[in-house]
Amino acid sequence: MQLKDQFRFVRQNMKKNKTRVFMTILATAMGCAFLIVLASVGFGLQKSVVKEMTERRVITQIDVHGKEGDDGGSFRPINKKDIQIFEEVKDVKAVTRRKMLQQEGNFSIGNYQEPAQTFVANFPSEVKAGLELSEGRLPKGQDEVVVGYNFPLNLASKDAPDDRYDNKSQLKTEYRYSGKLIGEKLELTVRQLKDGKQEEKTIPLTVVGISKKPTKEWAEDRSVFISDTILTEIENFTGTPKGYLLDANSEVPTDQDIHENSFDEVKIYAKNMEAVQGISDQLKDLKYATYSVVNELKEVNMIFMIAKAGLIFIGTIAILIASIGIYNTMTMAVTERAPDIGIMKAIGANPKTIKRIFLLESSYIGLIGALIGTLVSYGISYAVNFAIPLIIKQAFGKETELNIIFSDIPLILPVICILICYGVTIISGYRPAQRATRVDVLKAMRREV
Amino acid sequence: MITIKKLSHDFVIGKKGRQTIIPVLRDISFSVEKGEIVTIVGRSGSGKSTLLNLVSGFIHPKEGEIWISGEKVSDMNEAKFADFRIHNLGFIFQSFQLIPSMTAFQNVELPLILKGINEGDRRKQTEEMLKKVGLLDYQDHYPGELSGGQQQRVSIARALIINPPLILADEPTGSLDSETEEELLQFIKELNRDMGITFLIITHDDKVAEIGDRTIELRDGRIVEEVRLLCN
Ligand SMILES: Nc1ncnc2c1ncn2[C@@H]1O[C@H](COP(=O)(O)OP(=O)(O)OP(=O)(O)O)[C@@H](O)[C@H]1O
Ligand SMILES: [Mg+2]
Repeated sequence: MQLKDQFRFVRQNMKKNKTRVFMTILATAMGCAFLIVLASVGFGLQKSVVKEMTERRVITQIDVHGKEGDDGGSFRPINKKDIQIFEEVKDVKAVTRRKMLQQEGNFSIGNYQEPAQTFVANFPSEVKAGLELSEGRLPKGQDEVVVGYNFPLNLASKDAPDDRYDNKSQLKTEYRYSGKLIGEKLELTVRQLKDGKQEEKTIPLTVVGISKKPTKEWAEDRSVFISDTILTEIENFTGTPKGYLLDANSEVPTDQDIHENSFDEVKIYAKNMEAVQGISDQLKDLKYATYSVVNELKEVNMIFMIAKAGLIFIGTIAILIASIGIYNTMTMAVTERAPDIGIMKAIGANPKTIKRIFLLESSYIGLIGALIGTLVSYGISYAVNFAIPLIIKQAFGKETELNIIFSDIPLILPVICILICYGVTIISGYRPAQRATRVDVLKAMRREV
Repeated sequence: MITIKKLSHDFVIGKKGRQTIIPVLRDISFSVEKGEIVTIVGRSGSGKSTLLNLVSGFIHPKEGEIWISGEKVSDMNEAKFADFRIHNLGFIFQSFQLIPSMTAFQNVELPLILKGINEGDRRKQTEEMLKKVGLLDYQDHYPGELSGGQQQRVSIARALIINPPLILADEPTGSLDSETEEELLQFIKELNRDMGITFLIITHDDKVAEIGDRTIELRDGRIVEEVRLLCN
């Protein structure tokens, strides 16, 4: 029997009891829609979390926090020797290392001033890692500095009132320094408590470069990069490593680590995302404490994997319930058509053909149900993503836009659903189909079935 | 065409533990030659239908062999017998056994669909066959919209459409009046004469028995008489 004719048979049979078939398809569609919508929440939240994680961080970046001591407990900061080791690891593009001034430097130019975090950076490695300037050049002289993109935007007039910020927490233009910055003198004031008295020291610097606008919209770069010589000058004044600020009852820290020429921010950049795992594994073997978003992503994805599997499992139960309907419908269909089946068998229909026709019919119901369910779930998913932020806005009156995707249906999800649905349909349609092949010809012809 | 050797059959009825064995056929042996019309007669309950059902493969014999066209059908499983039937056997039943939800055309076409013949050829052959039984104008009628005689002609068309060398009929005239019965008998004779189709027919009716080249009488599951009717 040709497949085309089998399909025609199935369609004719289904037309005989349209309501029943429709209800069964409806139940299946509901089961599938339930599964997809439920699992789509898992997919959606995962997408949001991953997006958030990868947006806030450079994906090829590995932070190195320190090295585990031989005793296994304490960690010591990274020093020059460690940096050499890192630079020799395969697939490492750059190793940036920064020392941080241990107090907030106060920078001023004319009547304008701004407190900012102050670093000593290794510029060749920063450039390799992607540092670019929007204006000027990298520093050459020891009193030359590069400032972050947002530094000039926050350089405020000394007599600006408290409400100097606009509603986007940006410094209002009327209080902002408007002159040119490149080539201008900038004064850095550092403080230290000496014999119970606050003393200040002012160091003259020259701005030679401004870094490029950070790519992430939310990021703000207000740091100032000074040279090692200036840092030493500050240390000489404060009498503490990296300009550490003493308070009334603290001593000069004796901790050897700070005295050492150690780095406060060490970041390794891998050549590509795939290399991150290998590099962090190697560093782990060398007992360095590292953090990379790739590692974290792996864990997050693992958790979501389990969550999604759970959601799909719950959804499958809905399809299983719908499959009872399919089983019922197919059993009824076999019973109703038993006389016809008997006649067909009598004139020579192969039991296999009969079985195939009934399996085809249940698959038909299952697949149409799954397709309708898929379409509906795309609709629901769209509606959910549209409506929930609105509801939240209504309830909390928040103006901030929510960047959460509540429901996401990647192609794999309908595929999984259709496969599950198809499998369940075949299983539930199998027994009725098997029963159809066992219809007794003589009984059927005597209308005894 | 058909050879039956030492065929015995009995039915088992009742639940487990309290089963009763009903012997129906005992040691039946006979053969039907190609081109013959053989009729089987006998009192009600003598086992005629059972014998034909065994030959048709609707039930499986307890003992003995059945050969049709050189094939030992008594050893075939259900699926194999089904394939054998669709290619070799035509059936005419007392109560026609048409599928009520299919039109006359679809009923006649059904064996061709099961054989896997494509639509164009099916249409041609089915129309030809309906013309042959004089029902071309009724092709879109459902069985319920046809008279008994017309229904029987549809069922004959369905039996003939696969060009079977052998047709098995269980009381084919049982539901017809004497006039239509006469028509049917003439048609059977014609098919036998013109196309060389072999017939094995069960009947109560003397008029039907008369068209046979040979009549086999069953009594209590045994062959009691084989009559060769020389007048034909
Ligand atoms: N499925 C069955 N189960 C049990 N016994 C059966 C079955 N079919 C037939 N019999 C028995 O077998 C015997 C022969 O039945 P069969 O139908 O072959 O008779 P028959 O010669 O065709 O009679 P009739 O002329 O009335 O049609 C009967 O006694 C009947 O009770
Ligand atoms: Mg009978």
